[in-house]
Amino acid sequence: MASITFQNVTKKFDKNVVIENLDLEIKDGSFTVLVGPSGCGKTTLLRMIAGIGPQTSGKIMIGDKDVTEIKPGQRSVAMVFQNYAIYPTMSVRGNIEFGLKNNHVPKEKREKLVLEACEKVGMLEYLDRKPGTLSGGQRQRIALARAIVKKPSVFLMDEPLSNLDAKLRVQMRVELIELHNKLKTTFVYVTHDQVEAMSMADTIVLMNNGKIQQIASPSVMYRDPDNLFTARFIGSPAMNIRKLRDTGHMVGFRPEKGIISTEKFDEGICLSGVIVAKELLGNTVNYSVRDQENNTYIISTDNEDFETSQQVWVGGREKDLYFFDADEQRIRENDADYCSLIEHARRL
Amino acid sequence: MLKKLNFSNWKAYVYIMPAILGIGVFTIYPIIQAAIWSLQKVNQLNPEKTKFVGLDNYKYLLSKKAFLTVLKNTGVYTLWTVIIILFIALVMAVMLNHKQNRLSKFAQAAAFTPHIISMVSISMVFTQMMNPNYGLFNTILSSLNLPTSRWLMSSDSAMGSVIFVACWKSIGYYCLIILGALQSVPVSLYEAAELDNSSFFNTLFHITIPMISPQLFFTLIVMTIGSFKVFDTVRLLTDGGPNNATSTIVYYIYKCVFWDWNVGRATAAGIILLLAVGLLTLIYFRLLNRRVYYQ
Repeated sequence: MASITFQNVTKKFDKNVVIENLDLEIKDGSFTVLVGPSGCGKTTLLRMIAGIGPQTSGKIMIGDKDVTEIKPGQRSVAMVFQNYAIYPTMSVRGNIEFGLKNNHVPKEKREKLVLEACEKVGMLEYLDRKPGTLSGGQRQRIALARAIVKKPSVFLMDEPLSNLDAKLRVQMRVELIELHNKLKTTFVYVTHDQVEAMSMADTIVLMNNGKIQQIASPSVMYRDPDNLFTARFIGSPAMNIRKLRDTGHMVGFRPEKGIISTEKFDEGICLSGVIVAKELLGNTVNYSVRDQENNTYIISTDNEDFETSQQVWVGGREKDLYFFDADEQRIRENDADYCSLIEHARRL
Repeated sequence: MLKKLNFSNWKAYVYIMPAILGIGVFTIYPIIQAAIWSLQKVNQLNPEKTKFVGLDNYKYLLSKKAFLTVLKNTGVYTLWTVIIILFIALVMAVMLNHKQNRLSKFAQAAAFTPHIISMVSISMVFTQMMNPNYGLFNTILSSLNLPTSRWLMSSDSAMGSVIFVACWKSIGYYCLIILGALQSVPVSLYEAAELDNSSFFNTLFHITIPMISPQLFFTLIVMTIGSFKVFDTVRLLTDGGPNNATSTIVYYIYKCVFWDWNVGRATAAGIILLLAVGLLTLIYFRLLNRRVYYQ
């Protein structure tokens, strides 16, 4: 078990600065998810912890040990790769025990550990099979077993579920959460999928362009975003955003908190528009509504009564509105501008 | 039990006919013709005088000390060229693959260059460099106060010198094939191995070599067959000498035909070569194929 600390870390690829002067602390025993769009530097961050893509400058600590000079194999970290990186020439057993062999673990102990790890991921009957004969989900489990068997103090996972089909992904998500509860070690998990981040993390680190946008629990991320990027990235469909006239400020409301009605209502913001698309998703319906200024709003509701081309009123209640300044930073209730912004929004 | 040919799907036979004709005319027919000649005393000037002699040609060859020496020479040549080329090509490829920069690109090109130079030119240069009296090699050796060698001129060192030139010519080519194979190994496997605390040699023997085993196996077979058929190197460097020390099977066949005009004996030697290569390939497959990893 160990915490991970980044101190003033910079990473360059040739002259390309990907991450600059980054500070971050990942708590001991947490399930931290690094999330962000492609190319935001989240995998780079993970590889720096592993040591397979070391930082250009700055310090990385695992526990209270500076690991900058320590080889990947001696950092007490295990990693699950996006493509699993299973050794195709070795049997399942060979894959799992390769690390133990390199660390000169005696044979009997090795055997015991391999069986233990294999049992945890439910792959006991496949021990002597070659990876080529296994399905994606099974390979994924071997990759997990290979990580578990080393009893690392940090688990690193680089989009480990992205190659699985939707159903298996949901199942593996639950299994990973259970695994974390069982092992109680630090998990650092990289994904670009905010749903995965929301459902698995106890702490989310949201990144964009090599910068950390916000570090918070999933519920804070969702309810109380610090800036426009967080507000738009977390939540699906993304938050509806509209510019306030004259001020350069912006107002937003979540599709699932939005109101859709055939009659004008007198709460928060209320805008008229036409339904341009209706998506039935089973438990909810997503309506895309376009106003005269060509802004599109999405409303998620369980009300199926509206039809495409229908003239409707959409908006959000006052308590469900989020305001952002011209620099895309959040303006909260206790900020001085807040009241005037509400007035602005009402007049839209 | 042989399945009866089913002519109801005659179209299939039509489609494969061109290929079968080609193989028949250019492969099967010459082999059969050679096999027939090997059982005859062939007179090419007056074919009517050609007569059937049974296994006499084979008996003659296998009882001749010169032919047995030739067989041994071919074996020695093949063994050493294959071992040396495979080993050095692998080491070079691993080193070149380790870090790709301008220098390694240059080294790659430089190593490949001997392959595109004609063996005739190479032989001329090496015969000069290996000249015991004024050659570069001995000049360097004597200036360093090291014992000199008679290189191609002595029956003790001639085979070694021929093997040296053959390796020099081929290493770069095989290095490139192996390098290509190495570059197709996913980087993430090496990263996983690094995280598994694998040492350089553990990674090499447990991950790298198994991953490129199909290409290594291919190289081994192609190289063995090629070495068994060596001719130009021997012809140009030593003419089989001194005292038959570097004569190989194909060179022997060449001499049978163009010096002794004995086609029957030459084809018999050819058939022996064919059987030897076939047998060796079979042994390779039996011994190694299980260890080769196919995707």
